[in-house]
Amino acid sequence: MTAADESLISNAGAAETPAASSADVVAELARQFGDGAVTPQTTLTGMPVIWVPRDRLRDVLVYLRDVSRPFSMLYDLSAVDERLRTHRRGLPPSDFTVFYQLLSVERNADILLKVALAERDLSLPSVSDIFVNANWYEREVFDLFGIDFAGHPHLTRIMMPPTWHGHPLRKDYSARATEFDPYTLTVKGQEVEQEALRFDPEAWGMQRQGEETEFMFLNLGPNHPSAHGAFRIVLQLDGEEVVDCVPDIGYHHRGAEKMAERQSWHSFIPYTDRIDYTGGVMNNLPYVMAVEKLAGITVTDRAKTIRVMMAEMFRINSHLLFLGTYLQDLGAMTPVFFTFTDRQKAYEVIEAITGFRMHPAWYRIGGTAHDLPKGWDKLVQGFVDWMPKRLAEYEKAMMDNAIVRDRTKHVAAFTTQEALDWGVTGPNLRATGLDFDLRKKRPYSGYENFDFEVPTAVNGDAFDRGMMRIEEMRQSVRILQQCVDHMPAGDYKADHPLTTPPPREKMLQHIETLITHFLQVSWGPVLPANESLQMVEATKGINSYYLTSDGSTMSYRTRIRTPSFPHLQQIPAVMRGGFVPDLIAHLGSIDFVMADVDR
Amino acid sequence: MQYTLTRAEGGESAADRYPLDQRQRVDDPMSEQVHRNLFMGKLEDVLSSAVNWGRKNSLWPYNFGLSCCYVEMTTAFTAPHDVARFGAEVIRASPRQADFMVIAGTCFIKMAPVIQQLYDQMLEPKWVISMGSCANSGGMYDIYSVVQGVDKFLPIDVYVPGCPPRPEAFLQGLQLLQDSIQEERRPLSWVVGDQGVYRAEMPSQREKHRDRRIAATELRTPDSI
Ligand code: SF4
Repeated sequence: MTAADESLISNAGAAETPAASSADVVAELARQFGDGAVTPQTTLTGMPVIWVPRDRLRDVLVYLRDVSRPFSMLYDLSAVDERLRTHRRGLPPSDFTVFYQLLSVERNADILLKVALAERDLSLPSVSDIFVNANWYEREVFDLFGIDFAGHPHLTRIMMPPTWHGHPLRKDYSARATEFDPYTLTVKGQEVEQEALRFDPEAWGMQRQGEETEFMFLNLGPNHPSAHGAFRIVLQLDGEEVVDCVPDIGYHHRGAEKMAERQSWHSFIPYTDRIDYTGGVMNNLPYVMAVEKLAGITVTDRAKTIRVMMAEMFRINSHLLFLGTYLQDLGAMTPVFFTFTDRQKAYEVIEAITGFRMHPAWYRIGGTAHDLPKGWDKLVQGFVDWMPKRLAEYEKAMMDNAIVRDRTKHVAAFTTQEALDWGVTGPNLRATGLDFDLRKKRPYSGYENFDFEVPTAVNGDAFDRGMMRIEEMRQSVRILQQCVDHMPAGDYKADHPLTTPPPREKMLQHIETLITHFLQVSWGPVLPANESLQMVEATKGINSYYLTSDGSTMSYRTRIRTPSFPHLQQIPAVMRGGFVPDLIAHLGSIDFVMADVDR
Repeated sequence: MQYTLTRAEGGESAADRYPLDQRQRVDDPMSEQVHRNLFMGKLEDVLSSAVNWGRKNSLWPYNFGLSCCYVEMTTAFTAPHDVARFGAEVIRASPRQADFMVIAGTCFIKMAPVIQQLYDQMLEPKWVISMGSCANSGGMYDIYSVVQGVDKFLPIDVYVPGCPPRPEAFLQGLQLLQDSIQEERRPLSWVVGDQGVYRAEMPSQREKHRDRRIAATELRTPDSI
């Protein structure tokens, strides 16, 4: 290990478990607001879940934000249509429930607040002045559930086109495209849609005229080479300077959350791969772990380690893609050819083990799809031996390159506090100097057994975000090496009746076992009614699945919290006063894919 | 060989729904020409082949991506797969400079008017490859926000199956497009001959490979690498 590596060592292991400090938060709130104001709910989410009345919501949020050891990040905000939910005993009556998940770095703990709403009165106060990043989340809830947020600065649709009718995540809205009339595009319709896409600065409270200049409005996207997919951002420019900008998303909304409500617990796994589509099986992990919590399955050590190994393979793979495109956005043509060569090497390993390249959907409820094939260790070892010298070369040839440094140093920088305010997680947060990495702070799937460091940087600028990925790849390679050296023996799948697919050997005994097997395979397992949540440190930041089971073969509500959504929301705050080339550098350094934003 | 004739100036049947141009199935226009005038026919045949040869070997792709499939498409552009072998490495950021567009990814209802706009901005001759199940048919996303196949409004030349297709599959799709371009009959100039575009109806790959594919009955087990 080099001296530079050593300086990156974080105070690992000193983490306090999330559950420890959770009880006192509830007590604190009850003391502050009276017992009547807080109704706790027991769930499997691993954090206190509290119902608060609508008129106390803002006070409670302000209190939690400003309390000592504060809950400084609004981690997630969404809603549930509760009208068809049958298992609600002991919960306050509610047709639509809006929930707020707050995260405290100091406590290393979360809290989930829920507000009950009646169908005839779907309105609650906006909290976007308490937590700035509530803005987009509230728009999303407005768009998909039709819930109004009084006092929101710009409550318009965010996922669906402005011309859309209805609120797709409501239970009475059909999920399938084939339930609607087949799609047609007419010349007239094309004109209407194009007109609806036209940017109207006044609607956003923007001036067309400055004191001395007339501003130019530049539309970047929804298809632009450096927008990394179907993403649009409208710039208000004074010459080269970005006065303000408005990101526009929803061009990649695949309705994954709605999809989960009609897939069995098992058959939703492939959809998770396609959320952060460069993350592959990394996406399966939070989902299957949340399902396992509901089902009460304990996974074997071997399965855990295999999962960690493949997830880290994909982290490297995703970071390599990042590195290539990041440098390409800065104008360097060659790196992408190098990093894709490495990705090809990674895919050789991934394909040999999982049988597929990008979307293996390889984790199963209770373990993985199959055991590691014979000879896997040599393959992984080959990759582990290959990477370090390549990484050293990237660092030397690219990150030490004067042009790259000039383009990125002190560009689009933000502080830790700003990152927390906007819900920024992952390497982008760590680039600001905070070592908040769930693999260390809240170890899951056996990460506590691995020896690795959490790299951090200081400036939180576009350069640091780039360097961060190189360092993270080094650490991932270390983890891979430990997987090769210490892969536990044993089963790759837990022995439990709810795992999928059920083991074939158990089927072949008599007619009863055959019927059970048939039901398990065709309808899938029935999971007990409850709520669970699992967060993981995914490639781009913290990704979590918040599952609500109503005691059925399908999820009642699946909330997918993705890291890229808040990262894009933060862009205007970072870019105001910057220049257009800085914006491109910033977009390159965020590392987002649109499926991870719009789902 | 059977051809599909496309005429740009739609007439009333276009009824304002995309795709706008009129299509009909016809025989090879060239063979008719040959019967009428042997010399002119031959000359046109040679010229047409030469032009098509040039076209198919210098296809400039439009840098356009929608979702996951785009990653595999770009993979095909980089060193390990090297699309330059087929003369299609000159990626253009502007539709006006591009020859073909790959719909690599899911076609969203919110995105469809944008795609149509970009397609309209490409200059003739232009082609479209539909890459991946989503673009082909909606794939695994039979969901309110997704168009069930981009051919609901765009004319598609080649469909590449897969979710996502491997880069090799994309390269095969590209070669199939090249084969079909070689057979095309386009006006050699705006003053020479018929102004319609005749696209050859290429043999179905599924039928072509079916026998070989069903012959495989034993698949390798995943127990070793
Ligand atoms: S076909 Fe599959 S890989 Fe391609 S865009 Fe659709 S979901 Fe993604």
